Amino acid sequence: MSKDNVESTYFRRTSRWKLILVLLIFALIATVIISINVGYAQISFPDILTILAKQIPFLNGFTASSTIQPSAESIILQIRLPRIMAGVLVGAALAAAGVLYQGVFKNPMADSYVLGVSAGAAVGASFSILFGVSFVFLGLRLVQVAAFLGALAAMFLVYNISRVGSRVPVATLLLCGIAVNFFLFAVVGLLEVVAGDELHSIVFWLIGGFSNVLWKDIWAMLPFIVIGVVVAYFYARDLNLLAMGEETAHHLGVNVERSKQILLVLASMITAAAVSICGLVGFVGLMIPHVTRLIIGPDHRILLPTSTIIGAIFLVICDDLARVVATPFASTLELPVGIITMLFGAPFFIILFKRKKQSYSV
Amino acid sequence: MRKINRKYVIIAAVVAIVLIASAAFLYIYYQGQATEAERIKVLQNLVDDHDYLTSLSSYPEKIVSLAPSCTEILFALGLDDKVKAITDYDNYPYNFTAWIAAGNITSVGDFSDPNLEVIASVDPDLILATAGVQGDTIDTLRALNYKVLVLDPPSVAGVLRDIELVGNATGKTAEAKTLINSLQSRIDAVAEKVANAASKPTVYYEVWYDPTSLWSAGSKAWQNELIEIAGGTNIFADQPLDYFLSSAEAVIDRNPDVILLPSSGMGFGPPFWGSIDEVKARPGWDSISAVQNDQLYQVDGDVIARAGPRVADAIEALAQFFHPELF
Repeated sequence: MSKDNVESTYFRRTSRWKLILVLLIFALIATVIISINVGYAQISFPDILTILAKQIPFLNGFTASSTIQPSAESIILQIRLPRIMAGVLVGAALAAAGVLYQGVFKNPMADSYVLGVSAGAAVGASFSILFGVSFVFLGLRLVQVAAFLGALAAMFLVYNISRVGSRVPVATLLLCGIAVNFFLFAVVGLLEVVAGDELHSIVFWLIGGFSNVLWKDIWAMLPFIVIGVVVAYFYARDLNLLAMGEETAHHLGVNVERSKQILLVLASMITAAAVSICGLVGFVGLMIPHVTRLIIGPDHRILLPTSTIIGAIFLVICDDLARVVATPFASTLELPVGIITMLFGAPFFIILFKRKKQSYSV
Repeated sequence: MRKINRKYVIIAAVVAIVLIASAAFLYIYYQGQATEAERIKVLQNLVDDHDYLTSLSSYPEKIVSLAPSCTEILFALGLDDKVKAITDYDNYPYNFTAWIAAGNITSVGDFSDPNLEVIASVDPDLILATAGVQGDTIDTLRALNYKVLVLDPPSVAGVLRDIELVGNATGKTAEAKTLINSLQSRIDAVAEKVANAASKPTVYYEVWYDPTSLWSAGSKAWQNELIEIAGGTNIFADQPLDYFLSSAEAVIDRNPDVILLPSSGMGFGPPFWGSIDEVKARPGWDSISAVQNDQLYQVDGDVIARAGPRVADAIEALAQFFHPELF
């Protein structure tokens, strides 16, 4: 292959990638705009636009706001918008972390449960729900701080017990992670048994949902997720090489152990931030990277950003469904979003796989 | 003439007395037989809230109560010395935790998963239970030939019926009647008063609130009827459910005049909603009429949740929140 040929292939590919990214970003914006219309309260789209415009200083003067109910303003700005933003942030985070876990472990089943991260967050959250109801740290609820710290603690525990000399073999990591995962979920089970009244909160935290999320929860977690995903992007090339095997990656100049370590810390930090907002929303981290790989291909330089955006779109749509899917039974009835991701996500995933019909690997 | 007369009078009097006495005796005897037969018939045909037929051969001496509401009914009927075991959640009318510690009563443990071995060791001749989470336990106990009455009243009238049922099963029929009459007249008094009220406030009853969920009560919830009798309207009265997952959005949109916050779900620990100020500070709740007019009230979580003899207390308390001007 001549140099020109390689270059033209490269440019064709990057321009295709740019197109995909631009389309996905538009799709995400469209999803957010549609979602802001979805909910129990009937608020017209012009009213929603007026409410939003009032928040922007420059547009403030152009709006005739007197006709809008104060409750509509509260609902849009304090309830729906933070909820949608939480969906964007958490969906993006879980999908990005899923790409990193699956890439590092070269295992299609890898997700935040594998390193005990989810279980660690669950133990932290359950403990705080049971023993520290009124504690608030830097304006954040204790359950969030505890879930975040629990997730990171579990990850460091698994990483360190898996260490063999200076290396951390993937197989050891996987097995130690699963063992720690079971142990930690046993602790959660134990806490549930003694929980009494608080059992309710623990159960719903484990299913996941963000119906009562606050703006400050989102601001607190935003930097962890944004920094985590951006830094991880610079390791996308390493992930591509790791996919060829650690030995090959090493000979191609990748500092394998160091890259693995950094990627796992990043993935766990992103996951910890996400689950601390909304509990253990399942399936997004596992499924979205596979769906994206089926559509886009296995190159991590495009897989990571596209998975991130598709994850955001997917979770926002799931939360829309959570708000409306049960309303035929009772107009104000909701479902936890964690149930929707699995209930609707799993069949969607299976249909996509069946249509692809060819063999598939990470 | 006078002599004969006296003789006949005496004979007639004696005959009359004997006749009257024996008639009276026979009347009382057969009446007694009839009430005895009636009593046994009632005892053999106890139909509980799940239409399950239970037959007792005699009044129970050892009763196990598997729910706080059942315990409250038993103690309200004066069966203090017959109740041998209760759950850890029971806290009324006495401090049962101290009783259990002192060994005066046995604990069967958790409400949702009572310890069958403890129940068996008490060897009860009657068990009172409630529905829902206790369904499996009830099936098991009946399979083991224990006599179980399920008290799962669908309404306030149902609670009064349950009190009558427990009275019939334990030989406290008269006490049950007195209690029912007193509760009914107190409830009627409230209903009469609020009938004249100028307004009927809309009410949001909070079942549970945490960062991931908000639960309230629909038309099939026990609290819906209490709110209605006390002269209010549940904002979720159109939802054909009991307790269900809803959203802050729906609460804000339905704009309740009054917010009711139970002191706790099952009588332990601090309230799940924190403080009244924290509820008012929830995002977007400042547009709710109840928050603007300071109509947030803490209600005793046990009184409002238990379908027992404190139902009139609950209705009176709610009516005073809804219509302070009438009380």
